[in-house]
Amino acid sequence: MPDFLNTLRIEWLKVKNYRTFWVLLVVITVCIPAFNYVIYDFTDNSFPKMNGMNILGSPFSYPNVWRTVPYLAGVLVFMPAILIITLFTNEYTYRTHRQNIIDGWSRSRFIYVKLFEVFLLTLFVTGIVILTVLFFGFLTRTATQPKSGWEEMRNMLFFFVEMLDYSLIAVLFSMLIKRAGLAMGIFFLYMIVEQFVVSLGRNKYKMTWVDYLPEEVSDRLIQQPFARKVLSTENSAIWEKHVPLYLAISVLYILIYIMVINWRFRKTDL
Amino acid sequence: MTGILSLKNISKSYGRIQALKNVSFDVPAGSVFGILGPNGSGKTTLLGIVMDVLRASGGHFTWFGNQPSEKQRRKIGTLLETPNFYHYLSGQRNLEITAAIKHKPVTDIERVIKMVRLFERRDSKFQTYSLGMKQRLAIASCLLGDPSVLVFDEPTNGLDPSGIAEIRQLITDLAKEGKTIIIASHLLMEVEKVCTHVGILQKGSLIRYGDVQSVLGNEEWVELSAPDMEKLRTILNQLAVVKKIIPTENKFQVYLNQPEADPAMLNQYCFEHGVVLNFLQVKKKSLESSFIEITENVSN
Repeated sequence: MPDFLNTLRIEWLKVKNYRTFWVLLVVITVCIPAFNYVIYDFTDNSFPKMNGMNILGSPFSYPNVWRTVPYLAGVLVFMPAILIITLFTNEYTYRTHRQNIIDGWSRSRFIYVKLFEVFLLTLFVTGIVILTVLFFGFLTRTATQPKSGWEEMRNMLFFFVEMLDYSLIAVLFSMLIKRAGLAMGIFFLYMIVEQFVVSLGRNKYKMTWVDYLPEEVSDRLIQQPFARKVLSTENSAIWEKHVPLYLAISVLYILIYIMVINWRFRKTDL
Repeated sequence: MTGILSLKNISKSYGRIQALKNVSFDVPAGSVFGILGPNGSGKTTLLGIVMDVLRASGGHFTWFGNQPSEKQRRKIGTLLETPNFYHYLSGQRNLEITAAIKHKPVTDIERVIKMVRLFERRDSKFQTYSLGMKQRLAIASCLLGDPSVLVFDEPTNGLDPSGIAEIRQLITDLAKEGKTIIIASHLLMEVEKVCTHVGILQKGSLIRYGDVQSVLGNEEWVELSAPDMEKLRTILNQLAVVKKIIPTENKFQVYLNQPEADPAMLNQYCFEHGVVLNFLQVKKKSLESSFIEITENVSN
């Protein structure tokens, strides 16, 4: 068996009989379509109408659904982050990260396979998001609507980047803090503090650099999908103009996280 | 010839605290090498460095004459500090992970798990094991694939007296098979019974190392007593091979100018000079007393 496949198989051996892993994975898989359905049901795909005008647009119909579902799923990216923190800090709690090295893994192998797991989980969740989009697209289809709106599929890439960004922050906190509860607490605290800084900086002090903070910049990749009919087209144009920059900075953050995680695991005492 | 493990000037600092100071030694193939030292002397730090979980601040080491690598570590069975396993998995599943990392066949698990008497509990979760069972599982994982080199750090931690005796016997049996065993311990009795070579660490410095006899000596003396202790002392003082006589409570400790004591000769000599002994025993310096003597000498 090729070497890296064997390494992946070992990671599979670690989780395949781990109930917490399966419970969290099922929760993530169920919550993404369920949360979307709750919003779909609440808005009736157009609610509220003002003077008979559909001011929300039809967020769960093509092509908007390609934006709506990943936008709402973006609210739930803390869920895979919890799974990642659990899996990563388990290694520290049980000191198996040391044992894996002692038994015959290099430090690089350990960290690369962990990062690859994060990549696979991000891919899996993105797949759930795509299936959810197709489900709502099918549910709300009408004869006059576009069949799919494939041009909006780029939002899947944006969701992938957004989730990878959050997931790697979770890995970084896990590695630095080493304790599951504390790492989750700090992760949530960071989410809240960054949002607070962004709100305060942007709204009160008109600072634009806050848009480029680690989580905010990846949040900005997916434009909010509701009430598009009443939003000025100018906002959409500004977003279109900035999105390559948001994407580039998000990818840059991802590369920085990978480098820091890799460097720290390879160079410090375990 | 370089040893199985060869260290050159290994140092390790934690801020201002220097845990290891220029430690150098070779572990010969087929030896049982004891790394001795009190708690905090640097034994575990040293083993952590050679197993790549700690970074040395200076120096370098080789395994099997080559630069250390993951492939070489797969050839070594190692128990470092505490047994580290996934608590939510059974003993069997944990060993499957170890076997996969070491590239050893899973079919070997049954052999090693039987060796450490955990076969009946192999499907129980690790978190349900007692401390002794956890330690035994860790030893089983070391034995996977029948490695030629074993590294044990305090291998009898948490074991009951019969468990300690079993592990000691296991180490002796493994040594007889020609395996190289590196064992760190502060339990000198444990090391005394199995080691062929020792290195003594004190406050991070290697103060002695070599084969057991050259480091710890094999000094012997004879303890004897007789109804007439004064006469006994007089005739012993006349014997050329007697180096010194140390009186104890009701005996004399007699040190001779020869490596091995000869109780038969002494008994005959005393009898021929009109002294009938009522106590005669050859004593050998224990590892513990040698160790204390060496470490105190260095401290002074």
